[in-house]
Amino acid sequence: MARIRIDHAKCTGCRHCETACSLNHVPNTVNPRRARIRVMRDGTRYYPVIAGPFVDAACTSKLFIETGDHAYDQCALCRASCPEKPYFIEAETGIPLKCDFCGIPPAPSCVRWCNSGALELVEE
Amino acid sequence: MNGWIGRCLRVNLTEGKHRIEEIHPQILNKFLGGRGHGVKIFSDEVSPQTDPLSPDNKLIFVSGPLVGTGAITGASCNVVTKSSLTGALACAKMRGHFGAELKFAGFDMIIVEGKAEGPVILSIRDDKIKIDPALEYWGRSTSETEALYKRNMGDPWAARETFLAGIGPAGEQLLPLANIVNDRFLSVGGAGIGAVMGSKNLKAIAVKGQHSLHVADGSRFVQVINTMINKLNSASLTSQSMSQWGTAFLVGLCHQKGILPQNNFRLGTLSLKNIGTEALNSAFALRSRSCFACPVGCIKKTDVKHPAYEGRGMVPTYLAIGALGVNCGVNDLAAIGMANMICAEMGLDPVAAGGMLATAMELIERKTVTPEELKIDLRFGNSDAMLEALRMISTKKGHAKRLGQGGKALAESAERPDLFMGVKGLSLAPFDPRAIQGLGLHFATCNYGPHHLYGNTFIDELLNVHEKLDPWDAEGKPLLVKRFQDTTAVMDSLGLCSWPLMGLKFNNYIPMTNSCLGTEYKADDLMAIGERIWNLERTFNLRAGLTSNDDTLPERFVTEPIADGPGQGQVSRVNEMRPEYYHLRGWNENGEPLPETLSALGLEEHN
Ligand code: SF4
Ligand code: SF4
Repeated sequence: MARIRIDHAKCTGCRHCETACSLNHVPNTVNPRRARIRVMRDGTRYYPVIAGPFVDAACTSKLFIETGDHAYDQCALCRASCPEKPYFIEAETGIPLKCDFCGIPPAPSCVRWCNSGALELVEE
Repeated sequence: MNGWIGRCLRVNLTEGKHRIEEIHPQILNKFLGGRGHGVKIFSDEVSPQTDPLSPDNKLIFVSGPLVGTGAITGASCNVVTKSSLTGALACAKMRGHFGAELKFAGFDMIIVEGKAEGPVILSIRDDKIKIDPALEYWGRSTSETEALYKRNMGDPWAARETFLAGIGPAGEQLLPLANIVNDRFLSVGGAGIGAVMGSKNLKAIAVKGQHSLHVADGSRFVQVINTMINKLNSASLTSQSMSQWGTAFLVGLCHQKGILPQNNFRLGTLSLKNIGTEALNSAFALRSRSCFACPVGCIKKTDVKHPAYEGRGMVPTYLAIGALGVNCGVNDLAAIGMANMICAEMGLDPVAAGGMLATAMELIERKTVTPEELKIDLRFGNSDAMLEALRMISTKKGHAKRLGQGGKALAESAERPDLFMGVKGLSLAPFDPRAIQGLGLHFATCNYGPHHLYGNTFIDELLNVHEKLDPWDAEGKPLLVKRFQDTTAVMDSLGLCSWPLMGLKFNNYIPMTNSCLGTEYKADDLMAIGERIWNLERTFNLRAGLTSNDDTLPERFVTEPIADGPGQGQVSRVNEMRPEYYHLRGWNENGEPLPETLSALGLEEHN
């Protein structure tokens, strides 16, 4: 199955992926708050996050993941459209968003506009 | 509307009030938006005689129509005002994400008028517009201000999506060298604007919005952008040089041609060992960072645990390496990066500040001024003294005051105005105009002072992207300069960055513009708009008291040939090229646009 590989070390924070996604899903419209991918930022690092499932309540626990010398806030990396983090609730409509891989077979618009190699479509 | 929003936010700080106005489509057709639109409104509303630091001066933030739409490099927000450094128009180009966020907040433009009684921050957050007291931010560096503001928002998720543009201590102290900084990106060409913002007691503007932008023909727009990305990827300058090293890759090329100035534009020999791209690679782990919607990513951040960087460093760009480094005799990349960072934190313009330092250094070398007088040992190559001076001028204490007034004032007070290497009061960007003739003519004639990003002819003169030209040759350069100046005016007005012209032709932008805006512009239509904008700016400056005497380069470039290095023997032929340039522009011998030129451009009322 195809997957999107996200390499956040390569991400430049340009947010072209956000504009691509919104243009692809809402005709003639650009709005990062209507995109199913959002780029989180932490200092000089960027984490592209692609929308996953809708949840109606926030987690009661908070987690950090540590890899090497870096600690990641799991809430920032989480894919849920969740009341705690209003990132994947579509602006102007209030509908929760979820990535649909841009159709069958997957033709992700975000990957096409990501020029840094941070997003890549890989077959497994 | 497509691309444009059609709304403007007018804020009067004296009264503490704001109102939302509609923008007339006619003005957009004539001036596009961005820089053109800003200059038009400014010249209609503000008298050229206005004192830049008085409440009568206005500060206009304006994003172009392509900004935020996903159009390639559509990120630029221009800041238009009358500069306290040059007394002429100023237009800073703010890159980063502020411009796009302003559009998502539902505005093309913010006009700031008057003066607040005490420090304030203007915040625009999801349609709520507030002018908040900002005493606790006053005196803080730009990154501290940003961090504290975001903490005070009380909502970390909203804070992540908020972008600030503001001034550092330099702007608060009304230093003419002060620039405006957004999202830790230094803006380009903003010398003097920071002081105007400081004079209004406006510390920063914070924006966050969630409105949609519309494009006319989405599917065509997407296709066109796919092609443009492919084009950028097949051009080695954009896909390799710029992506890998940012503008710092120019250091080696400029050096080979004698363009990289050293020690206040006097020498041309130096070893690239310490400052070339290889040195850059080994000194820093480079991470690319992009402005909104830019596939190139020329800004380099670093995570290196260098004691001087504290994990938040910005890798020096060509401008920093030239202005704060080589031209001050400094060739230590860590020191240059540090100097660049101090500029960003204090809100200083690196070109103006670097030029001031180089002037001071030459004054000291010639013993016109003693280090004791300045209380700082500013010798060429003394990076510690340079860093100390940069830190100190923003405090405006004692002797630092004299430095903070800029290179021109310093040279004049020492009775050696000839040692200031600048035009219209602004220091030259670090390109020796003797070794690159077209750029020299541009430096002399540019409405905004000698900055390459209002007409970067070196794309053809040095990099030979569209035409193969010789930088040392003056033949045909006036036309080249005019073309680049007009092109840049168009791109600034659309809200685009001009660096990708290293991999794209101007014509490549036309389908993107038309499919986004629903217009039917041809290249010539846009170039005519560019020319209109250039002439409008010119008439404002002339009314503000500038004359053709301000269209010259310092004597050194015309009379002293480059002493050594690859460019040895070259002098600038700016005075020979200027009449032809005036003629091509349709101006008289005093550099004033002829009535027929203005009426052909639809600018009769500015005659
Ligand atoms: S694959 Fe398509 S739907 Fe999913 S995030 Fe990317 S652009 Fe959006
Ligand atoms: S397009 Fe790629 S580089 Fe740009 S923000 Fe998205 S993931 Fe990062």
